[in-house]
Amino acid sequence: MTHSPPSRRDFLKAAAAGSLGAAFSLTDAQAAAKTLTLMHENSFIKTYDEYMNKTLIPAYEKETGVKVKYDLVSVGGLQTRVTTAAETGSGPDLTGMAFNWPFLYDEKLIDVTDIADEAGKANGGWHPGGTEAVIVNGKFKAVPFGNIGQLMNWRTDWFGEVGFKTFPDTWEGLLEAGTKLKKAGHPFGFSLGHGFGDNHGWLYPLLWSYGGAEVEPDGKTIVIDSNETAAAVDFCRKFFQNTMLEDALGWTDPSNNKAWLGQQISCTNNAQSILWLAKREFPDIGKVTDHALNPMGPTGKRFHILNPWSHAIFSYTPDPAVAKAFLRWLMQPKQLSGWYASADMYYAPFLKGFDNSPAWNVEPRYLPFRDSMTTSHLPGWPAPLSRAQSESVAKYVVVDMFAKACAGASTKDVIAAAKAQLKQIYQQA
Amino acid sequence: MSASTLQVPPRAAAGNRALGRSRFREWTEKEGVFSWLMIGPPILFLCAMVGYPFLYGCYLSLMHRPVASTGEFIGLGNFIADWNDPVFWRVARNTIVYTFVTTVLKALGGLGLALVMNQSFPMKNFVRAALLLPFIVPTVLSTIAWMWILDPTFSVLNWLLIAAGVPAPGPSWLGNPVLAMCSIIVINTWRGLPFYAITLLAGLQTISPELHEAATIDGATTWHRFRYITLPLLQPVLFIVTMFSIIFTFSDFQLVYVLTRGGPANATHLFATYAFDIAMSAGQFGLGASVALAMLPPLALIILALAIYMRKR
Repeated sequence: MTHSPPSRRDFLKAAAAGSLGAAFSLTDAQAAAKTLTLMHENSFIKTYDEYMNKTLIPAYEKETGVKVKYDLVSVGGLQTRVTTAAETGSGPDLTGMAFNWPFLYDEKLIDVTDIADEAGKANGGWHPGGTEAVIVNGKFKAVPFGNIGQLMNWRTDWFGEVGFKTFPDTWEGLLEAGTKLKKAGHPFGFSLGHGFGDNHGWLYPLLWSYGGAEVEPDGKTIVIDSNETAAAVDFCRKFFQNTMLEDALGWTDPSNNKAWLGQQISCTNNAQSILWLAKREFPDIGKVTDHALNPMGPTGKRFHILNPWSHAIFSYTPDPAVAKAFLRWLMQPKQLSGWYASADMYYAPFLKGFDNSPAWNVEPRYLPFRDSMTTSHLPGWPAPLSRAQSESVAKYVVVDMFAKACAGASTKDVIAAAKAQLKQIYQQA
Repeated sequence: MSASTLQVPPRAAAGNRALGRSRFREWTEKEGVFSWLMIGPPILFLCAMVGYPFLYGCYLSLMHRPVASTGEFIGLGNFIADWNDPVFWRVARNTIVYTFVTTVLKALGGLGLALVMNQSFPMKNFVRAALLLPFIVPTVLSTIAWMWILDPTFSVLNWLLIAAGVPAPGPSWLGNPVLAMCSIIVINTWRGLPFYAITLLAGLQTISPELHEAATIDGATTWHRFRYITLPLLQPVLFIVTMFSIIFTFSDFQLVYVLTRGGPANATHLFATYAFDIAMSAGQFGLGASVALAMLPPLALIILALAIYMRKR
């Protein structure tokens, strides 16, 4: 048997057959799409995603027959996927949301006020932080879930060695401890680079605790150029020079976790994921790791960053009632208890009914994350939700203001640069 | 006449179909038709995947277009905002420095490597293949490896430096603004060097050895042979590979996004990373598109130079 080389026509036929095959397989896939898809960022707490996949989804399918696909996105990549889905009108039916995204994607999300109201009533109401990011024009555009707080992580053994048995209550106190610790070979490491969370996590609270802010509550008047901001910048420079590793200027989000577990730093600002991992994989470090609320500034107040997670339904979903039924089911106390507990309360519940949940007692060192909720705000606070607020965060205006000062620029120059940027951002918004 | 008499007998119908197929076949076999059938899909692909996004990007850059909402036409408003944005100019400066320095380093290093690889030595083919590794490995993966190499806690580099007497913890490769820029330049050079080396090696192998032999007989030194034979004959390849390298480097994204995300304090932000942050993180598509389009004039000039040069050759 002989084979002749394919003719031009054979080639065209094969190409056409391939295209038709692809078209038919697409049609089949669309026809089979009777399931719901919930998109979520890979959680730092593996057991959280496992609980959704192995417990909640099978239970819901058993109860209702509706299949749910849990579509995990790599850390830091969720917003790009949400943007793509919102812009193209196709993709998952439900999605996890962070920061002020319910505001940004407002027009592409359905009103879930009824679900949020029901969940609130059944669980003692919502903490104000929970609603700060999701209510747009009086409607819940996502159902609040939990806050991934950013708090002080500190080494109890090394702090003890320099005379600090408890965590300092003020920034000046922390500076004193850090100066001693750096001299003892245990520097601090607070992210000052272009990450997505750990940098904003302590720099906005630092600014607020000194009485500074980017914008007035009217969302228009730029007030970054103030004596309070200058005092915060001056403090930050001194804090960096006297307590930290130089490398923190370029840190992204995984950097402080690595440095902590490599026993290079004695204090940082992070979520509870460091302790969660240390307890499991580096127990010796886990034993000497603790959390504390952010220190108070000269105003006598302490602040924390609000890092809220919520769940929303895209308006393009073919059957909103099915998607809403699933979200409503998830927000029932029975499901919520296990869901929160699966992550060791990493997502601190926005529902007041969980403030005294037994799940908090499993690890008392997580309790500060619950207690930080009342003093937590989104970047841009006290201004209301706005697109300008997001642009300021994306351009790292506040982070870079502090970082440049730490790298040696004058306080006057860094504030002037931040002011110019904010003016432009808020004017064009 | 009844309807049945109008029916074409089955054999005649089959004959007509065969005739039709034959004519269609003849038509598709014509050079002019077949060439369009072949070139059509790539053109459609390019229009869909390159042309449409590009034109849509131009359209977006003239709009105030927040994510997930309808936009409004603002003319050159976004470009004026860029002009007044100090970070934009920092980004422009970073991109130019990054592109210029890496291109020079890659050209010199690539030429040197190509000259060495053009010699005969044991395991020549294996070494040539291994040379391509940095270029073959996905950028994200190799950048993560570099992240560990430059990490002050786990850095093998700092470990060596400290062992050599540099005070601990050693240089902060990604924390110091100047060192951070140097680091991304070195990594980009490391990654792009094989592209230069292999392309120039291909160029070197087209140079007839007889030219070198004749020059040697005439008393030319190694330097003279390189200066007056190798370099002029290599010039077209060197020019083209440099143009391509400039285009790829100017629009680089992955390396910086994985390593520093533009930090510290915008010291390593490039056009592509800044545009991405504005469009995706801030949700300002119009403004993001205008930053991305700022790459167009310099790149267009480079492409124009390339086109003119190639036409002259």
